[in-house]
This record gives sequence, structure tokens and C-alpha cells, in this order.
Amino acid sequence: MKRYLLKRLGQALLAVLGAATIVFFIIRLSGDPARLMLPPEASEEQVSALRESLGFNQPLWMQYLDYLRNLLTGDLGHSLYYKESALKLVLERMPATIDLAVFAILIAVTFGLLAGILSAYKKNSWIDYIVNAWIFLTQSLPVFWIGIVLIMVFAVRLHLLPTSGNRGLESIVLPAVTLAAYPIAPIARTMRASLLEVMDKGYMVTSRAQGFSKRRRVFKRGLKNAFLPVITVISLEFGVMIAGAVVTETIFSWPGVGQLIIQGVGNRDFPLVQASILVVSTIYIAITLITDLIYHRLDPRIKLQ
Amino acid sequence: MKKGKFLIGLTLLTALTAGCSTVSKTEPAAPAAGSDSASAAPAQKLDITIGRAFDVNGLDPGFLTENAQVVDNIFDTLVKRDENEQLVPGLATDWKQIDDNTWEFKLREGVKFTNGEPFNAEAVKYSLDRVLDPANNAPTASYVSTIKEVQAVDDYTVHVVTKNPDPLIPTRFNRYPTEIVPPKYTEEAGQEKFAQEPIGTGPYKFVSWDKGSSVVLEANPDYWGEQPAVEKVTFRSIPEASTRVSALLNGEVDIVTAVSPEDRSKIESSSTAKLSAVERAGNTVYVGFKTDVKPFDDPKVRQALNYAIDVKSIVDKVLQGSAVQTNSLIGPKDFGYAGEPDGYDYDPEKAKRLLAEAGYPDGFSATLDTVSWYIKNTDVAQVIAEQLKAVGVTIKVNNVESSVYRTLVPAGKQSDLYVLGWSSTNTLDADAAIYAILRSGESYSTYSNPDVDAKLDEARSTTDEERRKQLYQEIQGEVIQDAPRIFLYQENQYYGVSDRLNWEGRIDGSIPVSTITAGAADGK
Repeated sequence: MKRYLLKRLGQALLAVLGAATIVFFIIRLSGDPARLMLPPEASEEQVSALRESLGFNQPLWMQYLDYLRNLLTGDLGHSLYYKESALKLVLERMPATIDLAVFAILIAVTFGLLAGILSAYKKNSWIDYIVNAWIFLTQSLPVFWIGIVLIMVFAVRLHLLPTSGNRGLESIVLPAVTLAAYPIAPIARTMRASLLEVMDKGYMVTSRAQGFSKRRRVFKRGLKNAFLPVITVISLEFGVMIAGAVVTETIFSWPGVGQLIIQGVGNRDFPLVQASILVVSTIYIAITLITDLIYHRLDPRIKLQ
Repeated sequence: MKKGKFLIGLTLLTALTAGCSTVSKTEPAAPAAGSDSASAAPAQKLDITIGRAFDVNGLDPGFLTENAQVVDNIFDTLVKRDENEQLVPGLATDWKQIDDNTWEFKLREGVKFTNGEPFNAEAVKYSLDRVLDPANNAPTASYVSTIKEVQAVDDYTVHVVTKNPDPLIPTRFNRYPTEIVPPKYTEEAGQEKFAQEPIGTGPYKFVSWDKGSSVVLEANPDYWGEQPAVEKVTFRSIPEASTRVSALLNGEVDIVTAVSPEDRSKIESSSTAKLSAVERAGNTVYVGFKTDVKPFDDPKVRQALNYAIDVKSIVDKVLQGSAVQTNSLIGPKDFGYAGEPDGYDYDPEKAKRLLAEAGYPDGFSATLDTVSWYIKNTDVAQVIAEQLKAVGVTIKVNNVESSVYRTLVPAGKQSDLYVLGWSSTNTLDADAAIYAILRSGESYSTYSNPDVDAKLDEARSTTDEERRKQLYQEIQGEVIQDAPRIFLYQENQYYGVSDRLNWEGRIDGSIPVSTITAGAADGK
């Protein structure tokens, strides 16, 4: 176990470093931010003076080495636009993103599991078909569209909920529902497929022969065994949400990491984007690691090596 | 048996409520914006919310990388603009040019910053010096780069010495980065803290900044001018245009900026808000030619393309009236505007004839770069391509991402035909409207005409207003004839304003909160 953890931590470090490196080079492909930081009237001399003071005139490999050196000391640099610690900016926005992700994943899990279990339980019935059609629909509608329609109906027409912002509990409802719409589908589908598969397993057949009712078989034995793959799906979807729901956060002006990243990319605020990705990928990798540990806990047959 | 199912539901429900409580803990206890609108009596002080497309990056007027909509309420400039965009006294009561390169400003006495520091000539000198110091890399230093030095003559007299005669000095002291900051506090706080907790002399005091969400200001009780009707103002960032309008219609915000033309009717048909249209407050949009590249080096080709475009139909049908067709290089509120000049009528036959004369009877093909930050620009570009096809010119429309475009064009790496919009809101002067896009050698210019260059240079360095007007008129005539661009239109700007308020959008794009008053619907 200990060895496993150490090994996984090592892998995680490599993965985070890899992500940081890829981001470092990719955002630099489209040029540096000096031009964007100055008004259009600024002269070439001003642009190059700024470029020099920001260090973007250095060769790329030197900038990269500097970046790594600072990274080792925990210094993720200062945001070019906000002029303050990039890490601090990201961490300030993290709670809003986590709030939204937790809410959304709870909604998605509730409805996804219900739908999946129901459709497996009543396989090939009209309930199964309706659930499937519904899942198909939520997965194919663009997030953007869902968000705007929800705003039109629940805020502008019915005046029940606020359109946007992070002010009070009621303001989280619409963005969370919007964000939850998509992951309901994979959760429900995996739940359904996994439950159906388990139902055909030998021990389930035995329990049927023992005379247990269908309900008892499904809920007492089946579900427990069918949950494993669903947990993977849920944790991956949750990881994606934590990485910042760019579209949802923008529509609902939710002040999370997603908006920060999008703004950082638009401004070519390199330190800010790099810090965001670093934090987000660390969290993502941590989530997958925790999932593996839960896996092991739920099914000791799975070896951690 | 049902128990099992319920159990899952119950667990999730508990988890959900647990989630609720953690979320609510992070919420500020502030009441919902605009919730007091129903109960507020007209005499009461107003508490309003303004929805903008983005949050501020910082609140230090000397180091802004965006517009000054928020900070202009916290700080004062020496010179202000009234509702008609006329220059009026601000922190300076009077100003005059005393010789070619020197302007004298007489300062208002008895003004204090909100931390008690006195406002005086030293403060003016300090505010400008820190922007002019090359070591500080102030983003908008170019706006004041004509200034050589600021001298504090006595406590309430300042001399601004320019490198060359600069007719725009009073105007420059109306816009960022010339807001006056308190020297002592600014020095003590340092750049990072000052940008987060600014102190000025303006009609409003900074209260709080919730990054990514909102900035709150409240009226400065010791303001030297009149006390405003709005007691407290919250600037909220709502990046998505349709959400912004929905927030207005839902009563969450009282004013929204940058209303997209598609959303105009939503506001117009609303019973709680009105649309404020500011004609020609936006960019003057045109199709630029690289005039040193074949076939666009031939004025006949450039004129032909102007005759081939039906601008009126583009404005009416594609833009649905959200812009105004114009051949003027200079906006109607800019210094140097001389009415609407004649340009090129829609005449495809004449276009074909000119192309044939220029040696292109069968037309040619070219690429047109466009970027989506102008109103419906991709649609406009497609229509232009179709209209040019009718005269034999095949156009490939190339839509470029906006941040890429902003570096591509100044580097001269755009296609031979490119859409560009330019505005003069910084100074409301012809110089800002045209110098950077017509003077040869400027980053955004793809035109070179020695005569126009000479006139542009003279116009920015003479303080004789009549001479300047004359020069701009001559430049305009010459440029229309020479056609370094396809003349299109100037965009309008739209704001949504709640019926509880009285306010109209301004051509310079500023939102002086102190000019907002209670509207007819307030107190209903």
C-alpha cells in the first residue's frame, strides 16, 4: 500500500509537470502579450520595452528553465494583468468552482443513478425508453443553450431565481443544473449497463434460485456490485467540473476558475494560465488517486500495484 | 423493499443539503442588488448596480489595461467633460497655454483625498511622473508621451511642458492615465496594494472588490462637488451579453453596458427598462487595403471596390441599423468633424469599368481578414464577398481570433484586405481618429501618402484650432479620393437602463455615476 502510494505520487508529479510543460509552450505559440497589454496607439519601442521588462525577449528554453526554477521554490509568478500572485488569484477563485462542482455532481449523481437503475430494473419497458430518450436529449443539447433557456424561464419569465452571479444560495441553482445536464447521461448509461451485467452473474442467478424477489436481488446484491464502474465515471466527471466549467461559468458570470482561465488565455496572461492549469491538474490527479483508493476499499480483489 | 430506494435518495438529499450549507457560508450577506427598488422613495438615496461585460483588473488609473469606467468615479481629472462632451473644470479651475510648449493649470483649492491628504500641485506632478517614468512601464504612457515634464510652480499652479507643441493637452488631462492620486498613500501602499485599495478625490469612495464579480463604491461625503443622487453603486461583471440583458429585465441590475444589437428589442419591449442608444459612439469600421501590394497599389482598384459595395444595404439588413453609414474619417463629436462628405455610391457597373481600366477586366482573388469583435463582422464580411463577386473579385473570408488579430495587424501580418475599426474615445479628437491608421510607419497603418503624412504631423503639433480644422478637412478630401480603405460605417453603442433611473449613455463610453438620477418609475 505504502509503496503503491509512493509510486502513484511519483507518477502524479510527472503528470503535473507534463501538463505544466505543455501549457507553457502551447500558450506561447501565438506570440507574447506585450502588444495586448498596451493600447493600439502604443509605439513599437514601447512594445519592445515592455516585452523586455517582462522577459519575453529571452529565448524560449531560458524562459522555461526560469519557470521550472521558480516552480521548485513554489513561485508561480505574478499575473500580468492583476499584478498579484497568480497562485493566490487561482486559489481565491477555487471555492466558487468547488461549490458549483459539488452541487452539480450531486444533481447529476442523483438523477443519473435514478435513471440508470430505473431503466435497468425495467429493462425494455416504456420507462426504459423514456429515460433513454431523455438522456439522449440532455447529452445532445449544447450547455450554452440549456443555460440561456433556464435563465429565460426561471429568471426573466418567472422571476424565481437570479440570472447570474454568486450571491446567495439561490444563485447556484441554475448554473448547477446546467452543469449537471451533461454528466447525467454517462452516469445513467454506465449504471444501467453495469447493473444489467451484474444481474447475469452466477451469484445473482443463485440468489434467484434461492427465491429472493427481484427487488431484493437488485437492491441488496446487484447495486453493491454494479457501483464500481459508476464510481469511475462520477469521479472523472467531477474532475472535469473542478477543472472549471468554462461555458457555464461564463453564461452565469460565476466567478470561478473557468472564467479566470478563459480571461487569462484571451489576455495571454501566461503566469495566470500556467498557475490555473497547475492547480487544476493537481486536483484532477488527486481525484483519480482517491478514486483508486476507494476502488480498493470497495473491492479488495483489486490490487493496488 | 421501497426502503432501499428511499435510502439512496435520502443519502443524496442529506449530501445535497450539506453541500448547501458549505456554499452558503462563502456567500456575502449583502442583500440582492436592486431589491430595494420597490420601497425606495424618490427622495431617498439610490443604491444601484451596473452590469458590465468584464471585471476590473485593478483600480490604479495610472496602470489600467482597460477602460476607466469604474476608476473615473473614484478619481478626478484636472479637466472634465459635461453631458455635451465639452471640456469643463475638474480639479483645475482654469487652464491656458502660456507659450508654445507650456500649459498652465490653476488648481482647485481646499480639495482633499478621502484619506485626508491635501490635493495640490505636488500631487499632480507625482501622478504624472509615475506614469511617465519609463521604468514603470505604464500601459497607457503613450497617451501622455508628448509631455516632457510637469512643474509645480506653487501649491495651486502647475506647468505642463511638452516636447513639441501639443494642442491636445487639456483633453489629455481629462482621460486616464492623468487621474490624480495621493502621493503619500500611493508611495506607502505600493503598486499592488494601491490597485486593490485605491484612494482618490472623486465623487465616490472605494468600498470593496470581490475579484471576478463586483466592485462596490459609495458616495464620498466630503466631495468638493455636488453630492450625487446615487449613494452606493455596485459594478458587476456579467460577461455573457444575453445574461446581462436578462439580469436587467429581472431587476438584478439597473444599467447594462454593451447591449448586443440583437437584444435591443428585448429591452425596448420591456415594461421596466429602456434602451439608451448612443449613435456613432463605437468604432468606425472599414476594410483596409495593403496599399503597397498588387493590385491594391492602384487607386483605381481601390475606388472600384468602394463602388462595388452597397453599404446602405449592409447597414440596414445585416446590421439592422446598429451602425451609421459614413464616409467621414472623423466622428461627429470629435474635434475636426466637418459634416458628412460625399463618397462612393453603390455602382457595380462603374466598379467593373474601373477594374477594366486598371487592367483587371476579369477581376482577381484576394483574402479578407475579419474578426468577431465588431458587430456581426463575419456576416458583414460574407456580404462584402458576395457583392465583390458580382464585379468579378473573388474573396475568401478569413475569420481570425481576436487576441491573435490584435497582434497580427500591428505586425503587418494580416491579409491584403482586412477589416479594422478605430475609435477616438480617448481624446475625442481627429488626431486619435486617424493618425495611427493613416500615417505611414504607424503600426496600424497600411497607407503611405507623403502629403497626408505632412498634414497629419502638422495638425498634431499646431495649437491653432482653425488651422487644424482646415488640415483635417484637406486630409479627409484627399483620403476619400485616394481610397486606402473601403468606407463602411460607424457602430452605435447600446445601454439598457432601468426605469427607476434617469441616465443616457455617453459617446466617450464613460459612466459618471454622479450624473445618474432617480427616474420616473422609482418609488412606484
